[in-house]
Amino acid sequence: MSRIRRIRAEFAAALRSFLRRKTAVFFTFFFPVLIILIFGAVVQTQSVGGGLFAEPPAYYVPGYLAVVVVFTPLSRVGSTIARHRDGNRFERLAVTPLRRWEWLLSHTAVNVVIIGLSSLLLFALVLLVTGATVVVSPALLVLVPLVAAAVALFCGVGAVLGRVADSQDGVIAASNTVALPVWMLSETFVPPSMLPSWFRPVVAASPLTYFSRGVRALTAGGDWAGDFLVVVVAAAVVFAVGASVIPRTD
Amino acid sequence: MAEALVAEDVRKRYGDAVAVDGVSFSVAEGEVFGLVGPNGAGKTTLVRSLTGTTPCDGEIRVLGASPPALDPNRVGLLPQSFRPADRLTARELVRYYAGLYDEPRDPDAVIADVGVTDAADQWYENLSGGQRRRVCVGAALVNDPDVLFLDEPTTGIDPAGRRALWDLFSDLAAGGTSIFLTSHSMGEVERLADRVGLLRDGELVAVGDPDALVAEYGGESRLVVETGGAGADALADGYESELVDGELVVYDVAAENIGDVVRALETAGVTFDSFTWTEPDLEDVYLRLTGETLDDFDADARAGGAR
Repeated sequence: MSRIRRIRAEFAAALRSFLRRKTAVFFTFFFPVLIILIFGAVVQTQSVGGGLFAEPPAYYVPGYLAVVVVFTPLSRVGSTIARHRDGNRFERLAVTPLRRWEWLLSHTAVNVVIIGLSSLLLFALVLLVTGATVVVSPALLVLVPLVAAAVALFCGVGAVLGRVADSQDGVIAASNTVALPVWMLSETFVPPSMLPSWFRPVVAASPLTYFSRGVRALTAGGDWAGDFLVVVVAAAVVFAVGASVIPRTD
Repeated sequence: MAEALVAEDVRKRYGDAVAVDGVSFSVAEGEVFGLVGPNGAGKTTLVRSLTGTTPCDGEIRVLGASPPALDPNRVGLLPQSFRPADRLTARELVRYYAGLYDEPRDPDAVIADVGVTDAADQWYENLSGGQRRRVCVGAALVNDPDVLFLDEPTTGIDPAGRRALWDLFSDLAAGGTSIFLTSHSMGEVERLADRVGLLRDGELVAVGDPDALVAEYGGESRLVVETGGAGADALADGYESELVDGELVVYDVAAENIGDVVRALETAGVTFDSFTWTEPDLEDVYLRLTGETLDDFDADARAGGAR
C-alpha cells in the first residue's frame, strides 16, 4: 500500500504541475491537431496520386497517433528530468522511499493520461478530417494498452535523454533529433516499399514500426497480437533502462 | 549517548580534484553538528556522501546502517539550492512529500511549524524567498526523521523567520533528532550546534564544541581605544598593546579588567574618545583555520545568505 501511496503522490503532483502550465497543455493538444490539419487535410488534398500520401487515408492513422506517442513523452519526461536535476529534486527524492522506477512509472502514468486524451481527440479528428475508415470491433479496445505500452517505451527513452542531456534546451534538441526520424521512418507515413532495401532493417529495428503495424491491424481488423507483444516487451526493457539511469546527484 | 552518524576517513574525488579528504567525525543522538567552511570547501559533497546520494570511499554509518541500506523513513534532507515544483501550493508540496513516506506527520502541522500557514495555498513560485525556504524545510521534516541533514537551511530567510526555524531545530534536537547542518552563518552555528566542524579544502581541520574551539583557536580578546595615536607606552607590565591605524589595541583583556586599563590610561594622561572591547568568537576561529580574510568571509556569507 505504501508503494501505491507513493506512486499516487508523485502522479498527483506531476499531473497538477502539468495542468497548471496552460501553454504546455494547449500546445500538447494543439501540436498533433496541427499535424493532422497539415498532412491529413492540406497535403492530402493536393496529392497527385504518387509518392507520399498515396496510400488510403486509414494507412496514416498510426502516424497521427505516433505524433503524440513519440514526441510528447520524449520531451516531457526528458525536460522533467532536467528540471528536477536543476532543482536538486532527485537528491531530495533519493533519501525518500520513492524508488526510481516508481518515479518513472508515475510520470509515465501522467503521460498515458495526457496522451490517451490526446489520442482520442486525434482519432476522432483523423476520422473526421481525412475520411479514414476503421473496422469497429472489440479488438479496437486493445488500442488502449497498445498506446499505453508505446508511451511507456518512449518515456523510458525520454529518461535516457534527460540523463544524457545537460539542460532542458539540450533535452528538447535531442528529443526532436530522435523523434523526427523515428516518427517518419517507422511505417507511419512512408511505406517500406518507398525505402531502399538496405534501410529496411533500420525500420524493422524501430519499435514504433510494430506500434504502427499493431494500430493498422487493430483498425483494419487484422492480426495484431505479435506486434502488440513486441511493443510490450520493448516497453518493458526500455522502461527498465530508463528507470535505472534516472539521476540522483552525479 | 549512542552515535547516530559515524563517518570514518570519508574521501571523494572528482577526477583530479579532491572534494573530501579523509574526513572523520560522529554525531550523537539528539546532537546538532554544524559544519562550516568557505565556498568550495566540500560541505555539500560531504552531505551528499553522508546521505548516499554520491558514491565515496571510507565508512559511513547512519543509524547503524550504510547509507544505501538505511531506512529512508528515518532520514530527512534539505539539499542546497533545492527548488521543488513551482506550481504547487505550499500545502500541496508538503502533502506530496508526506505521501512518499510510510508514517508522515500531519502536513498542516508541519506547515504551521515552519510558519507558512498564512501562505499555504499560494503557489510556490509566488512565495517570498524566505517562505520558499521554509516550505523546503517543512518538506525535509515531514517524515519526522531521526537524522536530519540540512545544507544551508536558512539561506534567504529574514531574521525573524530564521530565529523561528532555529527554535524549531532546537526543539527537534531536544526531542532526540540528530541534526547535521552546514552553514555560512557563524551566528546560526553558534546558536544551534553542540559541536562544530571546520572544513577547509575537503579536510576537517577542527572539531569541537564552539566554546572549546574559540578558547583554542579564537585568539585573545581585544580592547580598542581611540586615542588618536597616543598611549603606546602608557600601559604598565601585564598588558600587550600596540598602535594600529591610530588606535591603541590592548590584547587579552578580561571583561573585569577593562576598568583597570582605562584607569591606567587616565593616570598616564592619555585622552581617548571611545573604546571597544571584543571577545574572540567562532568567526575568528573560522578565519584563522580556513585561512580566509574578512573580505572572503563576507563574500561567502553573502553567497550563502545573510549572516
